[in-house]
Order: sequence, then C-alpha cells, then structure tokens
Amino acid sequence: MLMTLASIGLPYIPGWNELRPFWAELILVASIVSVLVAPFFSRKSNTLCALIALSGLLLALLSLLLIGCEHTTGTFFRSLLLSDPVAYFWKILLLIFASCIVLLWFVTASPSLHEGDGPEFFTLLLGATLGMCLMVSTTHLLMLVMAIEMASLPSYVLAGFRKTHRVGAEASLKYVLFGAVTSSIMIFGVSLLYGLFGTLQWPDLAAKLLATTSGSALLVVGLSGLIVGIGFKISAVPFHFWCPDVFEGASIEVSAFLSVASKGAALLLLLRLTQTLAQAGSFADSSTLGTLAVLIGLLGAISATVGNTAAFFQQNIKRLLAYSSIAHAGYMLCAVSLLIRGNRAEAGFDPSAAAAQALLLYLAVYLFMNLGAFSVAGVVWRETGSEDISAFAGLGKRSPVLALCMAVFMFSLVGLPPLAGFTAKVNILWALIQNGSYWWILVGVIGLNTIISLYFYARVVKVMYLEDSEAPEFVGQPIGLALSVGSAVLLLVLFLGWNGLTNLTSGYDKLYMAPAGNAVPGMADVTPHPASVVLLPDAVR
Amino acid sequence: MDFLKANLLTILIFMPTFGMLCVLLAKGRDAIRWTALSFTILTFLLSLLLFVTFDWNTKGVYGYSTSGGVVQMVQETSWIPAFNIKYKVGMDGLSFPLVILTTFICLLSCIASWNIEKQLKGYMALFLFLETGILGVFLSLDFFLFYVFFEVSLLPMYFLIGIWGGPRKEYAAIKFFLYTLVGSIGLLIVLIGTYLFSRSVIPGGTFDLVTLASPEVQAKLAGVGNWLKVVPIFFSLAMVGFLIKVPAVPFHTWLPDAHVEAPTPISMILAAILLKMGGYGIFRIAYPLFPEAARSLWFIVGIVGVVSIIYGALCAMSQTDFKKLVAYSSVSHMGFVVLGAAVMTDAGVSGALFIMISHGIISAMMFFVVGVVYERAHHRELSRFGGIATTMPVYTGFSIVACFGNLGLPGLCGFVGEVMVLLGAFQAAKPDGILRHFGYATRGQIYSLAILACTGVVLTAGYMLWCVQRVYFGPEKAEYKNFPDADARELTVLTSLAIMAIFLGVIPMGVFLFTNTTVAAMFSLFQVR
Repeated sequence: MLMTLASIGLPYIPGWNELRPFWAELILVASIVSVLVAPFFSRKSNTLCALIALSGLLLALLSLLLIGCEHTTGTFFRSLLLSDPVAYFWKILLLIFASCIVLLWFVTASPSLHEGDGPEFFTLLLGATLGMCLMVSTTHLLMLVMAIEMASLPSYVLAGFRKTHRVGAEASLKYVLFGAVTSSIMIFGVSLLYGLFGTLQWPDLAAKLLATTSGSALLVVGLSGLIVGIGFKISAVPFHFWCPDVFEGASIEVSAFLSVASKGAALLLLLRLTQTLAQAGSFADSSTLGTLAVLIGLLGAISATVGNTAAFFQQNIKRLLAYSSIAHAGYMLCAVSLLIRGNRAEAGFDPSAAAAQALLLYLAVYLFMNLGAFSVAGVVWRETGSEDISAFAGLGKRSPVLALCMAVFMFSLVGLPPLAGFTAKVNILWALIQNGSYWWILVGVIGLNTIISLYFYARVVKVMYLEDSEAPEFVGQPIGLALSVGSAVLLLVLFLGWNGLTNLTSGYDKLYMAPAGNAVPGMADVTPHPASVVLLPDAVR
Repeated sequence: MDFLKANLLTILIFMPTFGMLCVLLAKGRDAIRWTALSFTILTFLLSLLLFVTFDWNTKGVYGYSTSGGVVQMVQETSWIPAFNIKYKVGMDGLSFPLVILTTFICLLSCIASWNIEKQLKGYMALFLFLETGILGVFLSLDFFLFYVFFEVSLLPMYFLIGIWGGPRKEYAAIKFFLYTLVGSIGLLIVLIGTYLFSRSVIPGGTFDLVTLASPEVQAKLAGVGNWLKVVPIFFSLAMVGFLIKVPAVPFHTWLPDAHVEAPTPISMILAAILLKMGGYGIFRIAYPLFPEAARSLWFIVGIVGVVSIIYGALCAMSQTDFKKLVAYSSVSHMGFVVLGAAVMTDAGVSGALFIMISHGIISAMMFFVVGVVYERAHHRELSRFGGIATTMPVYTGFSIVACFGNLGLPGLCGFVGEVMVLLGAFQAAKPDGILRHFGYATRGQIYSLAILACTGVVLTAGYMLWCVQRVYFGPEKAEYKNFPDADARELTVLTSLAIMAIFLGVIPMGVFLFTNTTVAAMFSLFQVR
C-alpha cells in the first residue's frame, strides 16, 4: 500500500502561500462549522448563532484587510481559483453586507423565527456568502459551476425559510425550479464548450474561441447556456421571473441579501468571463465580441426598461424593490457590455478597467441604498406587520427619521444629487460615453430609465409624506433604525467624498488575466500525477 | 473684511442651510417662524454687502477678474480632483442682480408664509434649503456644481408643492419633478460630453464654465474631431433642459399645474426665481459654451420664444382661474427672455436680463395679490369676483400696480424689458447684427418674428385689463362685503414689491448698471467664429 502511494508520488497538497488569499473563505467555513456545533452547548439559542455568524464574518473581513491584495494576485490551486483586486474588493463589500444582513436579521427575522432554527439559517447564509466569494474568484468552468451552485442552493432554502408562510414556500419552489432549469442549461453549455475546445480553463478557452473563424451552432449554444446560467443569478430580463415572487415570499433580510449579494457576484463573474474574452481579442471589433457586447447591452437595456416599467404597478414594497433591483442590474449590465473599444473611444481608454471600476463603484453604493431601503421596510414591517406600500402612509409624521431615511434611499435609487446613487450612475454613464459609438444608445436608455424610475420611487415618498394616516407613531427598532440612518448618512458622505470613492475603486479595477496557454504561474515545479488526474479533469493541468 | 470678501459667496449660499438646521432645532411655532425669518433677513443683508465688495469698474473680457475679466469674487477649492471638479463660486453682472432678487423674494415669501399652519417646521426647513439650492445655481462657476445645485433645488420644491399644495398637489408635484428631470438628464449628458471634449484641449479637462467659454478654448475645441458636429446636439439638449425650466411652449404644461396647486409663497418663489434658473442657464451655459450652434439654430429658439409669447397670452386670456391666468402670463413673459436670447443683439440680451428681474418682482407681486384674495374668498374663479375695489381699496391699489406692471405700462418695470427685447429683435435685422453677419438669418425672418412678438404686447394688455375689470371693478358683491383690507404683514410685502417695480420702471439703470459690462463681455464670445 505504502509502495503504491510512493510510486504515484505525494498527493497535491496546497502550500501555505496558496491559502493566503483565501483566509476569508476558510474562516467562513470554520464559522459554518461553529454555528452547527453551537446548539450542542447552548440549546435553542438563535441569538448565539447570530453572534457567531457575525463574528465569523467580521473576522473574515479583518483577515482580508490584514492580508491585503497586493501580494496575493494570481491563480492558485492549479488555477482552480484566482485572487485579484476586483475579487478582493468584492469580498470586502460582500462581508460588510453580510454582516449588516445578520444585524438586519435581529430586526426582521428574529421575532418570527422559531427558537432553534438559528443554526440552519446562519449555516445557509454563510454558505451562500462563501459561494458568492468563490463565484468571483475563478475562471475555471467546473469551479464556476460549483460556486454558482454553492451560492444558489442555500438561497433556495433561505427563500422559503418562513416555514409557516405559504407565499414563502411558493417562492422557494419557484426559485428552485427556475434555478434547476437554468443551472442544467448552464452545465449543458459548459459541457459543450469543453467538448469543443478541450479545456475548462476560461482564458485558454477564450483564446481558442476567438481563434475559431467558422461559427458553429454548438459554440452559440454553449455560450448562450453559460449566459443563461449567469443571467438567472443576475435576474436579467428574460430570466427575472423568479425575482419578484421570491422577494415577496422571502423574509426581508433574505430579500435584501439576494438583491445585492447574488446579483453582484454574478455580475462580477460575467464581467470576468467577458473581459477575459475581450482581452484575448484585445478589444478589437470581432464578430464574437461584437455579438456578445450587443447581447449584454441589450440584456441591460431591456432589464432596466422592464424593471422600471413593471415597478409602476407594485403595491408591495419588496416587489417594488425587486423590480428596482432588476432595473439596477440592467444599468450594471450596461457597464459590463464594454467589450469593444468604440471607434471613437478616447485615447488611452481601457474598457476593462472602466467597466470594472464602474461596476465596483455602483455595487458599493447600491449595497447601501438597498440595505437601507430594506432596513426601513423591515422596521415598518415589525411595527405594522405589513409589507405593503400603504403601510408607509403618513410615515413622515409617524416616524420622521425613518421616513427621511427612506426618502434618501428612494431619491438615491433614482440617482439624484446630492446622494451617492447619482455618483454611481454618472460613473457608469461616464464609462459608456468615454467609449463612444454605439454606447451612446445605452446612455440614452439609462437617461430615459432614470426618468421612468422617478415616478415609482417618488410614489413611495408621496405615500410617506403626502398621505395621512391614523396609524400610531413609533420610533422603530434600534438596530434597524441604526442601519437606516447609517446607510442614509453614508450615501450623503459618499457623494461628498466622490473623489475618495473614485480613487478607491480605481485602485481595485484590475482583473487578473492568466496568461493564455498552460503555464500555471508558481506551479511549474509541481508535477502532475495520476492521483490528481483521477480527481480533476485533464483541463486543470 | 478681507475674510468676508473672500468667503462672502460661500457664506451666502450656505447661510440658509445653517438656518435650516437651526429651524430643525427650534421649538414652538413662533420660534420656528422667527428663526426662519431672521435667517432670510440675514441672507438678504449679506447679499446687500455684495454692493460694497463688488468691483463696479471692471471693463473687459468674459474671464476672471484676476486676468482683467468681469467674473469676480471667485472662491475655489478642489472637490473631485479625479475629474477636475471644483467647488468654484463667483459672480458677475449676470448673476449679481439675480442673487439680490433671490434673497429679496425669499425674504418676502418668508413673510408671506407667516400663516402656514401645517407642519411648519418641515415647511421652513425645506424653504431655506430651497434658497441654498437657488443661490448655488446662480453663483456656481463649475458646470458640475451648477448641475448639482440645479438638481438639489428640485427636491424641496417637490415637497413644498406636494405637502402644502392644493387639492391636486400630488399630480402637480410629480409632474413638476418629472418634467424638470427630463431636462436635467439631457443636461447631464451635455455636462459629461463637454468635459470629455475639454480633456483633449486642457490637460485633465475642466468643468469651469468661464474657461470653457473663453475664445482660446473654444478655438481649440473647434479643432477637435467632431466637436462641431456634436455642438448642435449639446446645444439642443442644454436648451431643452433650460426651456423646460423657463418654461417655454411646448414644455410649459407643468407650470400652470404647479402654480395652481402650490401655496402662495411657493408660487412667488417658483415664478420669481425658479423660472429664472432656466433663463440664467441659457445665458451662462447654452450660449457661451456653444455660440456656433446658438447662431445656427437661432430661428428655432426664436420661434419657441415667439410661440411662447403669443400662445401664453392667448391661454391666459381664456383662463377662468385667477392664478392660472398669472401662470400663463409668466409663460408669455418668459417668451420674451427666450426671444431676447435668440436674436443675439446687445439690446435683446440686456432686455432679456432685465425681464428676468422685472418679471421676478412683478410675478411675485401678482401671485401674492392672488394669494391675498384667495385667502379671503377661498376661490379663484374670475367670473365670481367683482367689486373688490370698494371693499378693499388699498389692496386694489397695489393690485393695479402689479397688473399694470405685468401689462407693461411705461413707468413700471415690465415695460422696459419688453421694449428692449423688441428693439433688440428689430436691431438684429441690421446687416452688422451677429446673425446676419454670419449669414444665418434673413431680414424677413427677423422682422416676422419681431412683428409677431409685438402682437404679444397687445394680447397682454387685453387679458390683463379684462382681468382687472372682472376682479376689482363692477358692482359690489354681497359675498365680498366684509372682507378686511390688506393687513400690515400683507402691506409690507406689497409695498416693498411696488417700490421695486416703480423704481426699476423709472430708473432701469438700476439693472443695466450690473449687466452692461458683462453683456458686452459676453458678446465678444458670440462673435467668435
């Protein structure tokens, strides 16, 4: 037995250096285990689990901040995972956001959650967070599928976590069905791509893909399958049907989590894949890149328009925010569509960096707008038991601080100064205009959509301030209030500190591009061996 | 004094914001009212200080006073260095009278707001915030900063109409908001586009309105790729944004709704100052930045102006609601501003600037007059009024001053501006006028516009006189028998406005003194090929 092992060499064991960029993920795994173990020591304590989850998230955040991203850029684990500034920035955002979601849990879920359900809830939440961290840290198609599933499966369960809630169960089922179908389409697409090009490494695949001159039906199906899978997570139109129902059925903190985290991770994943492709084609106007740019731009334009127009008729605040999140995903998709250098692009314009920067900045701002809006919705729900917009009636008098915060979030979502939503939107417009040519169309689309969106966002404000209500006054649950006020103040500060925000995000806008070919940096001395061949497909090497 | 001189404009802009914070902390109705009033008074007094610090003897180019230009009292600090966006405020003859007008009208409408009962604290806070927004628009010299203030002034207005308005307030508020936002989005695209082009002539680019307008930069820009191709688009987008605010036909429909629903003091501010932000934008941004397009597209702008004059007057004539009549007369009068800009003559532009001030005074007075009678009668039906002159003689006296001012009677300030604009329009037909010099206009085009505009004057006289007759004269009606005449508070507002109306009517130099050098400087920009 020992002889056999020796003959095939030692199994591949990652070194400490390779673990360095992934301490956050490891800490998340550890906290998942801790949350699961916690009930043995303190039975039926949801709060304990929440605190463990929170400290796990904060610890992971701390580890990221301590390690930094300067020396950790590159591919790791035989190119299964990678780490770069974009992924680093996203992980920080995600961990901050997930921590806030745990805080929001205290506002919205804790009173309705049965004692003892905490471990499951936080395991799922942390698991989804882990999946979303991994989603942005890979270009390996197998890992990509796994990461998406890792983010999706807990989300399905989270959506239906209100066990006694009929709509929640429906939402969960709908989510699973849509998710299963799109996942299978995606895996089918990926398998076709693998069959066509014989590699699962996206950078290699991209080079080969662009080199093929003859278009093949299989290639189109393969690429489309991949986009369908990611589009589902982004909830881009026409893969958005799950989104409003799931948001309505899920409890508020879960909706908030899905509205930012799952979309953000999927958008960054799409950005990474498309930009790798574009880089391989050096942003020249090739038919593949052109089609892809048009496709993504179209998805963005349609998502923004459909999301904004459908939001007109919503009576439920969570459904409204769901459509709003579809629209905002549309705006962000417009930034992702910067795949070709426009023929009138500015000299020295780097579409990849511009798209990444615009997306990161938008996500950073969007995170707080949505967190705030959902927090207010959560506090109002806790006070009135209703998630309808009509529950906000007269909020301007009943709870002035909360109403003011909500107005800030709504106007920021429209993109009006002096709030950071404006910063984020201008930043995207800025990138699109710099690229010129056909991207002007997207500029027009975003402009029109801003006007359409004002109507329904202002409707919430109208209900709060222009309608009277006999309902009692309230101050609001302190944590929810703190989250709302904090986010509102931050939106103002981020607007005034525009420069800092720009500098910060443009410091992290570099996507790591693995050199094409099979060279795996830092791994040359590791000889492949039969054991790893069994575990991992050829393409990994 | 030096400190004051260096920071006066910034203090002026943010004094009302500071007042807003104080109002939010104040307790009790009277305390809130007096805090708000004292801050509007303080702001007004500060703006009077500008007379001392303003250098009246500048003659020269459209540039900064440090290099011999007319734009002075500049204060700047870096805000977003990544895009070279600055906090930059300054003042010239264009903005000076508008700043004084703003602080003056805000003071008076604060007095007019005395009997607001509902959610007083919120009202006064928003009111003061609005004043900051408006002052910011008039004083910023950075395109981006201008845009931010332009948008910021939207929010309080939405709430002021929406919460304290009349029966259809929700509709009016959102309509106002949506219309203005449509214009703003276009302006935003112009803003980013212009900056991008400026990057190829100035390292790092600039949002500086004065620098962008300077002949050197314009000449360099003309050499950049497709600048000359996009200029008409940029000009049109910017003009649409400002014409919505002005408002000119066909973008005017928000105005009557907003006015009818808004409470009296807000109507005063809306008509007197907010509309001027559109006119100011035309003269500060659209024309100096894109003079080439302004010349080639002048006829469209001119037609919009003339149509506004005539259509606004005709609409005013057919109104049954007193306030709506005044609102449409605003559309008509602001049409003269647009026409004055379009013809690009010295007299035309000076007249347009004068109308902005005179209309600011008279429309505020008209809306206050409507408000006073509405407060007593609780309706504004013109056909139901009559014989008010006998019950409220003093009030009627002031009303007649306002109405005749609106009509354009010589001796009152409404007259001067209109005559100047019409004069300017005819002047443009001379062969050395800018438009004819560059070959964009024929004598026939100019004359036809000018003559059509003249008919507007007659129409104005028609509806105004008819209105005076229906409201104030005629047999005494029983339902208005025991109306008290104007009280001290109302008299304060009416008297101050009437004094200004007569003063500027008799001594129009009161405005031209400010504007002459700046207009001359701006004209040198329009003549650049």
